[in-house]
Amino acid sequence: MKKTKSKKRNKNEISLKGDSSGLFLEVMISIAVFLFAITLAGVLAINSMLSNWSDSILGALTVQIMPVNNIDQGKALEETLVHQNKTMEYLLNVEGVEDVKPLEEKQLQKLLQPWLGDSVDLNQLPIPRLLDVKLNKNAKIDFMGLSEKISEISSQASLDSHKLWLSKLIGFADGLRNLALVALSLVFAITSGAIVYATQTSLGLHRYVINILHIMGAKDTYIAKQFSRRTGVIAFIGGALGVAFAIPTIFMISKLSEAIEGGIISEAHLTEYSWAAIASIPVFYTMIAMVTAYYTVKRTLEKTM
Amino acid sequence: MQKITNKLNSVIFMQNVGLRYDKGPEILSDIKMSLKKGSFHFLTGKSGAGKTSLLSMMYLAQKPTRGSVSVFGQNVNFANRDNLAMLRRKIGVVFQDFRLIDHLTAFDNVALPLRISGMDEREVKQRVNEMLEWVGLSRNINSITSTLSGGEQQRVAIARAVINRPELLLADEPTGNVDNDIAFKLMNLFVELNKLGTTVVIATHSEKLISEFNYPRLHLQNKGLRIYYPKDDTGLEKEDEKD
Ligand SMILES: Nc1ncnc2c1ncn2[C@@H]1O[C@H](COP(=O)(O)OP(=O)(O)OP(=O)(O)O)[C@@H](O)[C@H]1O
Ligand SMILES: [Mg+2]
Repeated sequence: MKKTKSKKRNKNEISLKGDSSGLFLEVMISIAVFLFAITLAGVLAINSMLSNWSDSILGALTVQIMPVNNIDQGKALEETLVHQNKTMEYLLNVEGVEDVKPLEEKQLQKLLQPWLGDSVDLNQLPIPRLLDVKLNKNAKIDFMGLSEKISEISSQASLDSHKLWLSKLIGFADGLRNLALVALSLVFAITSGAIVYATQTSLGLHRYVINILHIMGAKDTYIAKQFSRRTGVIAFIGGALGVAFAIPTIFMISKLSEAIEGGIISEAHLTEYSWAAIASIPVFYTMIAMVTAYYTVKRTLEKTM
Repeated sequence: MQKITNKLNSVIFMQNVGLRYDKGPEILSDIKMSLKKGSFHFLTGKSGAGKTSLLSMMYLAQKPTRGSVSVFGQNVNFANRDNLAMLRRKIGVVFQDFRLIDHLTAFDNVALPLRISGMDEREVKQRVNEMLEWVGLSRNINSITSTLSGGEQQRVAIARAVINRPELLLADEPTGNVDNDIAFKLMNLFVELNKLGTTVVIATHSEKLISEFNYPRLHLQNKGLRIYYPKDDTGLEKEDEKD
């Protein structure tokens, strides 16, 4: 009993507990980890959303050819077909396009039947034509550019608006994710800087004891280990606090976004792996803090005798 | 040739040593000395003469501004940090201002050098308890150091300095805060250590101690160092003397 007590004291020759730089660091890390966790959750959610969307956007797309208006029905159909062929010809030459097939008239009618009912004679109506475009899975297609180009080729042709909108959204989400990644690195860099700063401050505060330890023959590693251990504890407590606040916050945000109709944001759910990654942030921060403190002490002490 | 053998045989060897703080004037100039293994010296000089400064170069807390200092044959200017740490483990220091770690107990302060050198905790416990008992502090083993009296703190400081059976013991006014009885008891501790082979340097103002114990005296005056030998002792080597 007594022995363990003295062993414990052995580790605390440098009394870092009542150290104001320790409290600063703990608060700092808990805030940083809170932000880090929420941003990371955002990145992970965007990732899952993107992979869902990309699956649906890859592989195929539809181009619509609006019928040309003309009182002469036959002429109108003829002109529409000219537009259709022009567009098909162009599409076949686009990189990443494997095949282009116009939908058969019968298929078209089937598609429209539910909307117009049986009583309407479709042959009497100007029906938009659809081109089914098969894409190479690995092709990177610039949907925006393609959409513009198609409209240039033919005034009647347009890219399926849902796909276009999705691709815009993917671009936006992608940008958002990159921004979040930048934010993550920033939060991380600032925390590392704070650890270095707090460690140096603490070294200054404890110069007296460190000096004694040196004169008794302690190597820098002996001192660095004490700081490293203490900083690790601080980072773990701060990190645990940050995550403890972040998890309910993330949960609330995801519940709120699920309530948004449309099913698009609900694809942005967090997997168990994502939650595990978020929960392990304190461990990650603890390791980083320990290594950072250790080397800060060593580097700072090397400047003394 | 003479100098080289001196350097290798000496526990402390100094040549042309000058020391200044920051950009101030030199407070020690052209110090030359060679302390043989197993020797015992008093270090004297007026307040401000530089006794503590000279000792601090010996316990490797600072390097000379010029000249060379060798401790255990190792030139301080060429030693790396880990070398210095290993050299310091062979040196026990009693500071004029004790330099105890206030928030630790007497036990933990005395245990410090042993723990730093990685001694097994069970042995640490045994040795520290014995040591504290010997300096008359068995009742204060678990007292926080800052609660002890000046004399008690001084004894903790001495216990810490000798616990590792150092090869070199440097004591700065080690008996300034204790009664005569205890002062002589502590001096006898240093004498015993010296008999076991420890080289000892004790800085003191106490003429009483100096006259009681017949040891040569390193005297600091006008930034320089002179050695005086006790009148009744003639068996000492001339080469130690300053020209
Ligand atoms: N850290 C320091 N920075 C600047 N000057 C110092 C420092 N330490 C000592 N000095 C100066 O160096 C000179 C010698 O001081 P030192 O403490 O070595 O004397 P001392 O002989 O030990 O004196 P005392 O008998 O009073 O302990 C003094 O003039 C002192 O002011
Ligand atoms: Mg002094």
